[in-house]
Order: sequence, then C-alpha cells, then structure tokens
Amino acid sequence: MAATDAPGAPASGSDGDPTDDRSFADRLRATGARRIALYAALVALVAFYLSPLESGLMTAFKTQDAFFRTTPFAPPPPGGFTVEPWFEAFDRLSTGLINSALLAVPATVLSALLGSLAAYGLTNVDWRGQIAVLLLFVAGVFIPYQAVLVPLTRFWTIVDLPSLLSAFPPLAAKAGIIELIVTHVAYGIPITTVLFRAFYSTLDDEMLEAARLDGASTFRIYRRIVLPLSGPIFAVTLIYQFTQIWNDLLFALVLISDPNDQVVTLALNTLKGSMVQQYNLQMAGAFVAALPTLLVYVLFGEQFAEGVAGES
Amino acid sequence: MRRSIRRLFGGGSGNSDDARPDGGTVTTGRKSALALDGEFVQSLPFWVPPALLVGLFVYGAIGWNVLISLTDWSGLGQPDYGSLDLSMYARLVSDQSFIAAFRNTLVLLVAFTLASLLVGLAVAILIDRGIRFENGFRTVYLLPMSLSFVVTAIFWSWMYNPQVGVINEFLRAVGLGALAQQWISDPRFKLWAVIFALMWQFSGYCMVVYLAGLRAIPTEQYEAAKVDGASTVRMYRRVIIPQLRASTTSAAVVLMVFALKAFDFLFVLFGDTPGPAADILSVMMFREAFSTTNWAYGSAIATVLFALALGVIAPYLFVQYRRGEL
Amino acid sequence: MTGLTLDRVTKVFDDDGGDVVAVDDVTIDIEDGEFLVLVGPSGCGKSTTLRMIAGLESVTRGEIRLGDEVVNRKPPKDRDIAMVFQSYALYPHMTVRGNMRFGLEESTDMSDDEIERKVTETAEMLGISDLLDRKPGELSGGQRQRVALGRAIVRDPEVFLMDEPLSNLDAKLRAEMRTELLRLQEDLGVTTVYVTHDQTEAMTMGDRIAILNGGKLMQVATPLEAYHRPANRFVAGFLGEPSMNFFEMEVRGDRLVGASERTAEPSGGSSPEDGDEFVYPVSAETREAIGDASAVTLGVRPEDVELVRTADGPHDFETVVDVVEPTGNENNVYLAFSSESERTFVATISGMRSVEAGQPAIARIPESAIHLFDADTGEALRNRSLDDLEETEPRV
Repeated sequence: MAATDAPGAPASGSDGDPTDDRSFADRLRATGARRIALYAALVALVAFYLSPLESGLMTAFKTQDAFFRTTPFAPPPPGGFTVEPWFEAFDRLSTGLINSALLAVPATVLSALLGSLAAYGLTNVDWRGQIAVLLLFVAGVFIPYQAVLVPLTRFWTIVDLPSLLSAFPPLAAKAGIIELIVTHVAYGIPITTVLFRAFYSTLDDEMLEAARLDGASTFRIYRRIVLPLSGPIFAVTLIYQFTQIWNDLLFALVLISDPNDQVVTLALNTLKGSMVQQYNLQMAGAFVAALPTLLVYVLFGEQFAEGVAGES
Repeated sequence: MRRSIRRLFGGGSGNSDDARPDGGTVTTGRKSALALDGEFVQSLPFWVPPALLVGLFVYGAIGWNVLISLTDWSGLGQPDYGSLDLSMYARLVSDQSFIAAFRNTLVLLVAFTLASLLVGLAVAILIDRGIRFENGFRTVYLLPMSLSFVVTAIFWSWMYNPQVGVINEFLRAVGLGALAQQWISDPRFKLWAVIFALMWQFSGYCMVVYLAGLRAIPTEQYEAAKVDGASTVRMYRRVIIPQLRASTTSAAVVLMVFALKAFDFLFVLFGDTPGPAADILSVMMFREAFSTTNWAYGSAIATVLFALALGVIAPYLFVQYRRGEL
Repeated sequence: MTGLTLDRVTKVFDDDGGDVVAVDDVTIDIEDGEFLVLVGPSGCGKSTTLRMIAGLESVTRGEIRLGDEVVNRKPPKDRDIAMVFQSYALYPHMTVRGNMRFGLEESTDMSDDEIERKVTETAEMLGISDLLDRKPGELSGGQRQRVALGRAIVRDPEVFLMDEPLSNLDAKLRAEMRTELLRLQEDLGVTTVYVTHDQTEAMTMGDRIAILNGGKLMQVATPLEAYHRPANRFVAGFLGEPSMNFFEMEVRGDRLVGASERTAEPSGGSSPEDGDEFVYPVSAETREAIGDASAVTLGVRPEDVELVRTADGPHDFETVVDVVEPTGNENNVYLAFSSESERTFVATISGMRSVEAGQPAIARIPESAIHLFDADTGEALRNRSLDDLEETEPRV
C-alpha cells in the first residue's frame, strides 16, 4: 500500500479533501492572531514577575520625599533622585556581606565535594544495601529544619567551639560562622548527593569497568575518571548551594548571637526592622544583599534551573 | 547514552545478556563474596563521612528533638530527661493558637501548592509553544527563585503598602480603587497576601519542572493530535497534561514540604508574631522555642511539623523506590 | 604466554528472590594463543562468561584458571587481562594518548618514557599515530574502535577479552575490522576470547568456536567442524544462513516417514504438514546409527539439496517452487511438497539457473549429506559424510 503513495506527498496522509486546505489556511491566520496573544501573555508575565524588583529598584533611587509623592514603579522625579540609600545600605550591610561570603563559599564547596563522594560511593561502587543508605540521604532533602532547631542550638551549646578553637584565635573569633558552615554542610549533603547521583548514574558502566580492568583502584577511578567528568554537575551544585546558603535566614537566626558574626540576611532583617518608613533604604539594602545571588543567577541561570529541578 | 546506542544497533546484547533459562537448578544461595564485599569495603570511605554528618545532624537531631518534646524543659536550665511524658502534646491539643496555626498551615499548604502548580503549568505551556527569546523569558520567570526570602519579603511589604504600594496603586489606576486593601495588616487578607507572594516566588520552579516534563513528550504526539484534528486546548487537556503526572507529583511534594517549613518570609514580614490570622506552625515553633524559651513545647510543635512532612514524603519516596527511580 | 581454562563454571544470579542460572556448568580449555569465539543468541550467557573471566562478575561454582593458577578470587586488575567493550568505554575527557597510557600508569611502575614508547609503538601498529592528541568525541566509530583495541594491546596482557567489539560499526567497516583483528591477533599471539552473537564473525574469526544456549555449552569445535559435524540440533540450526532444513521423522524399519503429529520448530527449516507423504529410505549403515530412537529430526543444509531434471532415485522428491530469493551469486529456492502445502524447505542453487515460482521441481536430498538428530534430546545421531567436503563451502 505504501508503494502507491507518491513520493513527497504530504505527511498528513488524508485523501486530498479540498476543505482540508481551506481550514489549514484559516488555521494559519488564526495562528497569527494567536501568536500575538501568546507574546502579549508572556510580556504581561514578565511585568508580573519583575514588578516587585522594578518598583524596588526605582524606590531605591528616590528621596524619602519623592517616593511618597510618586507611583512606586515610576522613575525618580526631577530633584527626587539620590544614590544616598545605596551607600548607607552598603555601609550597614558590609559586615554581613563579608560574613556571608566567609560562610557561603566554604560551605558550598564542602557540601558539593562531600555530596560528590557520597554519590560515587552509593552509585558507581556496586554493593548491596546502597539503596537503603541512599533513601536516608534523599529523605534528608525534605526534612523541615524546624524539626532539628532545638537540638541544633543545644548541640552547639554543648560543643563549645570558641574554646575548642582557642588555640587558633582567628578561627575562634569566627566561631559562629564556623558553626554555621558545619551546619549548612551537613544539611546540604542530602541535596548535593541527589544532584550528583542523578549525574553519576548516567556514566557508562563499561567505562568504569574498563578503568577497573586497567588496574585503577576505587579511589583512583574517582580521582582520574569520575571527578574530571563531573565539571558540569559541580557547576550546577555549587551554584544552587551557593544561593541556598547565601539566602538562608533561619539557621543564622538561631545560631548567630555575636553581632560581629551577622550574615547579610540577618543584617538586612535588622535594617528593615529599624528603618520602618525608609523604603528607599530598605530597597537598596535588599538589592545589595541580593546582588551576589542575582549575579550568579544571571551568569549561570541554566545551572541554577538544573539544580532547582533536581530537587524533585 | 549507551542505552540509545543499543537501541540504534538493535542486535547488541551486552547487559541484556543475563540469561534467564527456565528450570535452571536453584541453588542455596551462597552470595558471591569476592566482588561485592570488596566493593563494599572500598565504597566506605566515600559515603561514610557524609553519612555520619547527615546521620548526626539530621536523624540524630530529629530523635533528640522528639526526646526534648517529651520533657518539660523551658527557660535557661537544662532539659531533664528523667521524667518523660506527653504533657506538651496534651497542651498542644487545647492551645487555641496552635489550632489556628495548624489550620493556617494547612490552608497555606493547599492553596500555595495549587496556585503555584497552576501558574507554573500555564507558564510552562506558554513557553513551550516554540517562542522566540525562550531563554530570556525563562530567566525572568525563574528569577524570584534565586532571591532570599528576606529580600522578597522586603519587596512585597513595599508592594502591599496600603498608601503607596504597587498593588493598591495598580488597582486605583485601573479604576478598582475600591478593592484596595490593607493587605498585610488586615486579618482577612494577610495569609492570602503571603500565599500570593510565595506563589510569585515559586511558580518559576513549577515552570522548570513542567517544562522538563513537556520536553520529554515526543513531538510526534503533538503532531498526531493535530492530524487527528484536536484543538490546541483539547490537545493539552486530553493528550499532554495527563502525561505530566510525574512532574506534578514531584513538584507538589517539594511545594508542600516547603509550605510546612516556610518561615523566613513570614518572619521578615511580621516578626515572630504574625497574629492568629497568619500564624503558621513553623513560626509558632520558633516563637515558643526561641522567643519565650518554651523549648519542650517548641520541640513538640516541631515534631508535629516533622510528622506532617513525613506524611507527604513517605508515600512519595516509597513509590519512587518501588519504581527503582531513586 | 598462558592458556585459559573454564572448569565447570556456573553463575547464578539472585533475581528478586528467585535464583537464575545464567551460566551452567561450562567447561572450555582455551589454548595458549588461541582465538576462541563465544557465540550464541541473546541471553545465552556468553557475556556473563566473559565478565567472569574478567573478574567483573563473581563465579558461583567451578574454577577459572589462567595457566595453572585459579583466579576466581583475584580482582580484575591482578588477572593480567585486557578487555575491549562493545561501547568502547573510552575515557571521554582524556586524549587517545591518555586513554592508552591510563592502564600502564595504573597497573605498572613503568617510567614515563617507557610508557610513551609503548603507546607510540602500539599506535603505529594500529595506524592511529596521528590521532594521539585527539579526544574520543572527535573520532569516528571506526577510529574509536581502534583506540579501544590499542588500549587493550598496549597493556600486553596474557589474555584479550572482547565483548562484541565490532557490533557498533557499519557492515563494511565491520568486515574490514574483522580481518584486521585477526591479523593483529595472529601477530601478537595472545590468547583471545571473543564474544559475539554474529555467526559470520564466529565462523570467520575463531580458531575454535564455543556455542552457548540458555547458559549451557552446546559444542566447542573448529568452525568447520561445528558446521559440518554439529553435536546437536541447536548448533546445526544456529550456524549457516539460510539455516539447515529440519524434518521431523518417524523411524519405520529402514524408512523415515514424515511425522504428521509432530509440529515443526518455528525457526529454520520446516517439515511437511499433515497428509504430506515424505518418506526417506535409509541405508543399513544409517539405520544402525539411529539405533533405538523411534523419532528423529532429519537435517539437510540448503546447499546440499540439489534440483535435478528427473526423479530417478529414492531420495528424489517432487516439489513445487514456492518463492525464489535471488542473492546474486545464488538463488534461495523455497520448495513445498505440494502446491497446497504451506511449509517449505530451502535449496540453494547457482544464481545462473533460472527457476520460477509455481514451477514443479525435483529435489534431491542425498543420503551422504543428511544429519539425523534424536528427536527428544537433539543429540546428533549421524552427521553428513565428509567425503565430498571440498565441494561444499561453509555458508554463513
């Protein structure tokens, strides 16, 4: 039967009904109108998603007087423009920014590295019972942190880090940050393990077997084959974890007591509380605090999206 | 990759080569020792240190929390593990503010999850219509997800400002000024205002999950539905959306678990006392434990939260495990 | 140099509660320098056998010996073997040079120069010197195949294991690589175990072939021996294309009569259906070979069926041509005992002879060419006589 079809006949395969052509043309015209509606909807959504940021940004450049007189999404009126809130916000948040960087960078790297190791041991090295261990890791992704907060503060009271670190004064001075690093690493491992595992289970088993036959030990295979191939997933994990840790408030709230150890989310919350009516300062502060993650997001949006999707 | 090569070259046998002859002699299974034991020992250094950290901080702490909830620890002293009882849980049942927080948590869980899924699905379908600047649109829609709740709470407290906030300004601009409200101080609206703002932040995440699900559906199915004469709406309703069940499930689990632990956003907006209209368990837990040092009581609330989360994730993980998708 | 012995090797997989025997009591002696092909249909246990030799799977029972040493419990890296995988399994982030160096770096304490020298030598031998600085992703399928081979050769192992190494190549390249692999193996003289499901590869490459089915070893023999003197019906049917014709027959005195109640095997060949009278008289010598069996399977290769002009003997049968498949050099003629019959058997005749569907034809099935198998066990009772071996080439 196929042989009777003329070569190059339309794939639709219907038997040349003329009404078919007309409805097709109609459909094409309808498609044009529909495309316009589609883009209108997409642009409206852009407005919806960006409006808090846009009005925030505009407000941050307005004087106190100006933002009460103008609509929030309008640019600053003549004479109402100022960059003063930015300087003040930066000034008030600078300690927080430094502390957040001291926290987020090591915590991100450590949790990614440990996640990579765990995922390799639970995926590419083949042994019975690994699924049971893995299940505990995966479940860890979904634990509400409230369920561990009280023991966590208790734990860090009992483990007296400042006196343990008293031999290293620079570290002892940042004991709060170190507590926070350990905490974030521990609670970050489940998600990083899940992300790495999804990637490692796609590695070619025959390739890893070939490496074993080539005489490489389990560790050497990790070091020379798996780790060098993990670049893309490291990027995803690092970016995702960095934003998570940078953005967190809860752990800092219960673990940080020394004002010198304040991370930026804490500092920003304090700023909001103390400057109730100064919306321009609040907005500038929000942008200053969000700048690192915004930058990471704009530069590595793809990886961030992959990390976000990997959570499920 | 390898699987697709196999498919392309049809004839390959490789791993599928595990013979399954029937009636083979069944042996009393002495499990093959050499390869597996060796591998187990070699895998230990990789996963044991992270597993210890997770075991101590996650599972150890959860157990500890349950233990504390059985004491009557409060104030500056030490917990007394000598006398354990359920008095804190008895107190929960008769505590009006707990009941309000529990109800609000469920409302948040359901409404926030549904709203985010619906908006996310709609956005994903729009994005998947073969548009230009797809990356640009996607980047914008997911942007709120990259922001701290502290930051977004500050934005939204400004958005909801009754005098000069964007929401009310917008309503007045389109002639609906009568609808302008005291969004985050009026008890009738504050919880919904929170849900709306959180939906704004999380719908991008749902979009990403749905988009991945949509992209996994072969284009032939769209074409087949078109050839069959289905309208676009019917095609999505009858052919495409039913296939997104897995995406919906996994996104819903993540959203529900988030709804249970949502804290930062409310805390920045309202402090530790959002009032009975918007109080939720995670904020109440923090307030009881860390503001009024009712440690045991806070732990009991935390245990309830954990049980709720377990109720959401246990069935999900079980199904995933049964499907071999872990 | 060393031989390799599989001594009653058995592999049992634990498959969700039920044990599955993947390899069942397989014994093969592979001589030093021999090229042995493990062949069989999908799921016959050939890859599992190879992976046990490699040490990638444990051995449930039996012994694997390299030379005189039992290697059952040795980890793969201490077995002095190298393996070529179906997917090639090259390390994508390393150059060809890195891929070839890797095994030497990990398993020997050779100096850097020495490793470099060996890699260069091997690359020259394989004609891939100019690819050394490229990565696998930049290579064609055939080039990757060579690199995979080079990675095995450079290690200078006692035994090569190859798991369907050519199956990802297109037909032309596969034929070329077959010859090249053979030449290399002959030059290097390394004991080689080669797994394939492709009988052409098995027949053309193996010094000996081991045919596996359902985890059991069916026969180990040279290709020609397995082709002409199959140990059982499975081997007879597995080797050869088109495959051997089979007829289910009852033994009645010195005649074999088409067994009407027996149903034919679905694959390969066929037997006359109900009512078809197919009577094949046998000589005393053949009758003796049959012994006590009351039912046998008669097998004859398509190239042994002759089409003659006139029926002038007891082994000439009147048939009708059902379908003719010209392959150029030859015609595959599908014959039926009557025009109503749906079951056919195949004769391969010269491509120059013109035969047309529907035409009557007389098929001669010479007694010297027939195989007889016990209908119950499938064991060969009598194989074709090899007096006229020179005339018939194995057909694969």
